[in-house]
Amino acid sequence: MINFENTVPVKLKGAGKGFWITLDPSHPEEVLISEIDKLLRKLKHLAVNADIILDVGNDPDTKSPETKDQQHKDLFQRIKIHLDKNFDLGNITASPVKRSIPTERIRQRDLSRGWNHHSSDVLMLRGRVRSGQKINAKKHLVITGDVNPGAEIIAGGDVIVLGRISGKVHSGFPDNKDTIIFALEFNPTQVKIGRVSAAGSEDGAGGKPEFACVENNRIIVKDYMKASPFRRMPWPEAI
Amino acid sequence: MEGKIIVVTSGKGGVGKTTATASIGAALALEGNRVAIVDMDIGLRNLDVVMGLENRIVFNIVDVVKQRCKIEQAAIRDRRIENLFLIPASQSDNKDVLTPAGVERVAKELRENFDYVIMDSPAGIERGFENSVVSASEALVVCTPDVSAVRDADRVIGLLYSRSLNPKLIVNRVEPSRVARGEMLSHEDVLEVLSIEMAGIVPMDEQVLISTNTGTPLVLQKDSKAGQAFVRIAKRLNGQKDLPIEVPTYKTSMWSKISKTFGLN
Repeated sequence: MINFENTVPVKLKGAGKGFWITLDPSHPEEVLISEIDKLLRKLKHLAVNADIILDVGNDPDTKSPETKDQQHKDLFQRIKIHLDKNFDLGNITASPVKRSIPTERIRQRDLSRGWNHHSSDVLMLRGRVRSGQKINAKKHLVITGDVNPGAEIIAGGDVIVLGRISGKVHSGFPDNKDTIIFALEFNPTQVKIGRVSAAGSEDGAGGKPEFACVENNRIIVKDYMKASPFRRMPWPEAI
Repeated sequence: MEGKIIVVTSGKGGVGKTTATASIGAALALEGNRVAIVDMDIGLRNLDVVMGLENRIVFNIVDVVKQRCKIEQAAIRDRRIENLFLIPASQSDNKDVLTPAGVERVAKELRENFDYVIMDSPAGIERGFENSVVSASEALVVCTPDVSAVRDADRVIGLLYSRSLNPKLIVNRVEPSRVARGEMLSHEDVLEVLSIEMAGIVPMDEQVLISTNTGTPLVLQKDSKAGQAFVRIAKRLNGQKDLPIEVPTYKTSMWSKISKTFGLN
């Protein structure tokens, strides 16, 4: 059976003309060295003149990165000296440092093609939702059409209606009150965002695009063109 | 050629389904078609009274579906309008005595014998509605310009769509004077919510009450606005698709007539 708990102290695999040796620095140094010796002895003539890349690996300990780096360098040097003394090897080098991708580049990637391979949770519907129909969306819901009185809409995320809402709408089901409900004509009979609910008012805004959101545990309706919640986002994000 | 089965339905009760059924059926018969009007409102029989054929009922639609009699035995021939037949409902049973499968079997036979079969659906969306729409090839939704009727019509339209029927809308009892005053929804308001093809607009008409109580066909009364509106709906159903939909207007005063002629206003 494979034991995932206790990792082997030394791993060896072929890399080009030589070998890649990965060490687990959580084991004591003597163990590491004896294990390497064991492996290289087994390899016999195959190890002669072979280039070695010595990867002192990642210590899961929570030490500061600087001290860790220094310790790894020291360990590398000691093992290198030991190997040079005992074996007839080629070049012994450290593993190339993995560079983390700078934030700048992540942004650039997101801007240019973040959504190319994006599979969406958004449910998009076209047409009129009639009285008695009930729509349940796991996440965001986009409807290009009207929602008639007597219809019911429930979404786990935002609700965007390109048309008139006259029915009952619930966004952020069951308890996400950071969601919004948007409509070109916002005139619902009942609204609910997360666990906050409100009754619709008689007088609509009269053809202005509006959205509802939760502020201080109350639902408020705002002019979308004046207070769009998405304008603050610096770059487009796939959802 | 096989006949068409048209179901007249609304969801809400009292919006004028029965009047519409009787009138459109009579108008189609006047156009020279062989027409059967079927009352599907089992237990709450009305259509026979509206058509003035109450005293001639022997068998009814339940007898036909249960194979206790033939269609010819149950169909009552109207004496005033040629080729118009009524198959009445039963007053003693309820809607559950009929099954969609049974209705469908009878509908097949009706289609072979008539050019048009008009089914008067009961109010509601339960078994009675199901029995009425199961064999229909076309549907007419009757709606009055009130919010509650529109709501119910909307629901019924959804149900008809789910049965692959494309319903047409009849806006009934429009009062142009009240629409002009803003007390009543206009047919445009209704159409904006329901957004389906319009079959016709029928104005409010006091003649309707008189004619339903006396059992005389509305379409035979030349001075009835509603009757004439139903005649135009029937003509449109009968193939005159380009017959324009007449919108009842309020402007009857001399001045507005003049201004209309001169393109003012």
